[in-house]
Amino acid sequence: MKKKVLAAVLASAMVVSLAACAAPAAAPAASGGGEAAAPAASGEAEAEAPASELTDGKFAETRSITVEVYDRGNDGGSDPENNDYTRWIQQQMLEKHNVEVKFQKVPRWTEVDDINNLLAAGTAPDVCVTYSYPTVQTYADMGGVIDLAPYLEQYKDELPNLWNWLGETNLYWDKDPETGNVWAVEAKLANMNRILTFIRQDWLDTLGLEAPTTKEEFHDVLVAFKDNADTLLGADADKMVPYSVSYDVGWRAGTLIESFLDPEMTDKEYYINGFDDRKLTQNGTKEAVRLLNQWYNEGLMWNDFAIYSSGDTTEDDMMKAGYVGAFSHNWDYPFRNGEDSINANLKRLVGPEAGYVAIDPFEDKNGTHTKWLAGPVDRKVFFPSTNDEPLASLLYLDFISEPETIEYLQIGEAGVTHEDVEDGAVSIIAATGDAIQNSGMNIDYTITCNGLHLTTDEKTAKSLAYTYAGIDPAVVQAADAIAKTDTRIGVNVQTGNIEAEAGVGDVLSSKRDQIYDLAVSASVADFDSVWDSGMSDYLSSGGQAIMDERAAAWEKVYGDAEMLP
Amino acid sequence: MKTSKTTPAPAVRKQSFGSYIKRYWQLYLLLFLPMLYLLVFKYIPMIYVQIAFKKYSIVQSVWEMPLAKNHGMQYFIQAFSNPDFIRALRNTIVLNLLDLVVGFPIPIIFALILNELVFTKFKKAVQTITYMPHFLSWVIIYGIALQLFAPSTGLVNMVITKLGGEAVPFLNDTGHWVWTYIFLGVWQSFGWNSIVYLAAIAGINSELYEAASVDGAGRFQKMWHITLPGIKPTIVILLIMAIGNILGSGFDRPFALQNNLVMSWAEVLSTYIYRYGIKGLQFSLTTAVGLFQSIVGVIFLLGANYLSRKLGERGLW
Repeated sequence: MKKKVLAAVLASAMVVSLAACAAPAAAPAASGGGEAAAPAASGEAEAEAPASELTDGKFAETRSITVEVYDRGNDGGSDPENNDYTRWIQQQMLEKHNVEVKFQKVPRWTEVDDINNLLAAGTAPDVCVTYSYPTVQTYADMGGVIDLAPYLEQYKDELPNLWNWLGETNLYWDKDPETGNVWAVEAKLANMNRILTFIRQDWLDTLGLEAPTTKEEFHDVLVAFKDNADTLLGADADKMVPYSVSYDVGWRAGTLIESFLDPEMTDKEYYINGFDDRKLTQNGTKEAVRLLNQWYNEGLMWNDFAIYSSGDTTEDDMMKAGYVGAFSHNWDYPFRNGEDSINANLKRLVGPEAGYVAIDPFEDKNGTHTKWLAGPVDRKVFFPSTNDEPLASLLYLDFISEPETIEYLQIGEAGVTHEDVEDGAVSIIAATGDAIQNSGMNIDYTITCNGLHLTTDEKTAKSLAYTYAGIDPAVVQAADAIAKTDTRIGVNVQTGNIEAEAGVGDVLSSKRDQIYDLAVSASVADFDSVWDSGMSDYLSSGGQAIMDERAAAWEKVYGDAEMLP
Repeated sequence: MKTSKTTPAPAVRKQSFGSYIKRYWQLYLLLFLPMLYLLVFKYIPMIYVQIAFKKYSIVQSVWEMPLAKNHGMQYFIQAFSNPDFIRALRNTIVLNLLDLVVGFPIPIIFALILNELVFTKFKKAVQTITYMPHFLSWVIIYGIALQLFAPSTGLVNMVITKLGGEAVPFLNDTGHWVWTYIFLGVWQSFGWNSIVYLAAIAGINSELYEAASVDGAGRFQKMWHITLPGIKPTIVILLIMAIGNILGSGFDRPFALQNNLVMSWAEVLSTYIYRYGIKGLQFSLTTAVGLFQSIVGVIFLLGANYLSRKLGERGLW
């Protein structure tokens, strides 16, 4: 009898489990098939297909899509899924295209992990945004991403703003040279400024020092800060950090690392060693980190940096409280976030004269200050294969690329988020409540555009310095000028998919971060062994395979050429 | 099985399963939900174990995926030839063994001490305070650890350096980190784990203690000869379960406590699976690792159970 009962239980378990596993399996399979079928089918009926679906750009029946938005978790920010801007977008999309838009938030600082989890679970938004192309590629290889190439061609007439704004350059940036697949379109970097170094101008003034223009001078200034900590910080002298570098050393010491690269490096070399965008495997990086390691051991850097992880605000808080002398970060980092910006906090907490200004202290071997820019690309926008509304989603991208949309999202309503200043420029003012922009110029909503881009170029140029509420425009202008000095813009190397890169991006990035952290905080005597053992582990875990495949791919596509036109 | 042998009238039982259900349907109803839980969350997911032997694809059902190379063993071979996996395996074993050696006796000792306390209000207060940390998430515990143990801004190190000592790298040196990890684990769980022992102690017949007192036994003799033997079955069962978990380890504790400087000792199997499998999208590889982990766990569990029965103790079954 017992056996019978057991058998019955097992049998029912089997039935239930079969049903349960058949259901989720069927869904992606169906949409995977649909993905392949849709372009072909609509290709046959090209002449009438758009007309049958859209009338004056509108669907006959309301369609519904979900769109990813970054959640930055700002203190006192607005709800990223529901605020003045999301409501405006929803209303406009409904009016223009009869498409209902829902937002789905993804934490900004762990976006790659989170979008991975969502994709793996099949619950990713219809319009996904990420900074990690390898993630897109990996899912594309598994059939989890829609190929945009046929849709972009077929609906070209329906998407004038998207084509105007991104153009072939950005739409086809990631196009596979062999298969012609386009798994993601690249948002456009309207302002290519990248990383700058900032220093406390008031500290320089107090000590009667000039802004440093070389590494040596920079080092002397840091030593001066440290030696005069009592003058500068009084009772808090022991909290001083002359130069702060924290989580993600490759970014946070980016300007220093770049100054050790050969400014005349060939495109080929830069590409082959360039899988890691923090330049771990470029020639010269080791010496840059050696210098950081020396500074660390001289007590010029933040001793505890490595135990705080990404997204931790401890370092920002130290800057805001006025303990940090200099740091390197995004070109506008101390100006961001209105009332909560680092410079605004310094003014409140330390004094009206306190604040960071940009400097350009790291000279390369030619005496210039080459800044290696990535190219006019920013985030990657893609549609997972669970997206049943590719056209509605493309219309969303078209709407979000419209010049008027970008301008409205960036500067908001007059009197609420901006006011007009002299000769046509606008100035951003601190907004309150649901009108707060969680990200500078609402970059999280303008997913095809990063950087100020108003309806006329003149207005943009004049307004740039005014886009940071509460920050002296002259300080912003100076930073912008330095960020645009001696730039080297990245070229688009289209060698197609590098197989060795699939699936290893996160593992290699986390190894890279470990190497950087360990090497910076090692003792001077151990530096070489720590760096070399870390690098050999990195290379044997897939780093070398990527370089070899990249070298072969380059030769296959570009032959003997060392530079791209 | 034993009960069926001793049941005097099997003939009556044979036709009575239906009538049992009728008679005790409330009990079976109560049993139904936990059974459903086990089925849905523990048994159905096992179907996907076969991913370990197949080439994973996001758009195919698990039955349609093609078999991996080397007769499906590709990912096991790949794991065991990956130095990161070997390192994670070593770390898991070392950290869990240390946890067992340090963390297992402490709740027992604590329960024994607590049992000797006469002043009940104090006893209750101590008990409550010590099991509180069990309810804290590891992220919060790491936050507390940062405030206490950070090399230059942590409270403990500030006291040490102000007294003229050298800061101790509790969190940023591998050797120290291991002990911080163990210490925080013990701190978080010993109060909670002692509850089981206290309950077992409460079940010991108090006449035994009275008789021992009459015979002139002291406190430690009573502890050694009455209390400890009295809770021995409980200790054995918990030890078996702890040994079965030797390759397991929660995810949040190591994940929250690790940082870039100590990864060579802080990466354990659960975080390795997260990094390679979920973030690196190598689902087959990490299912293979997970399966290996479970099988070793079962072997250890069975082994420990067998040994304990051999040594004359009651096992888990």
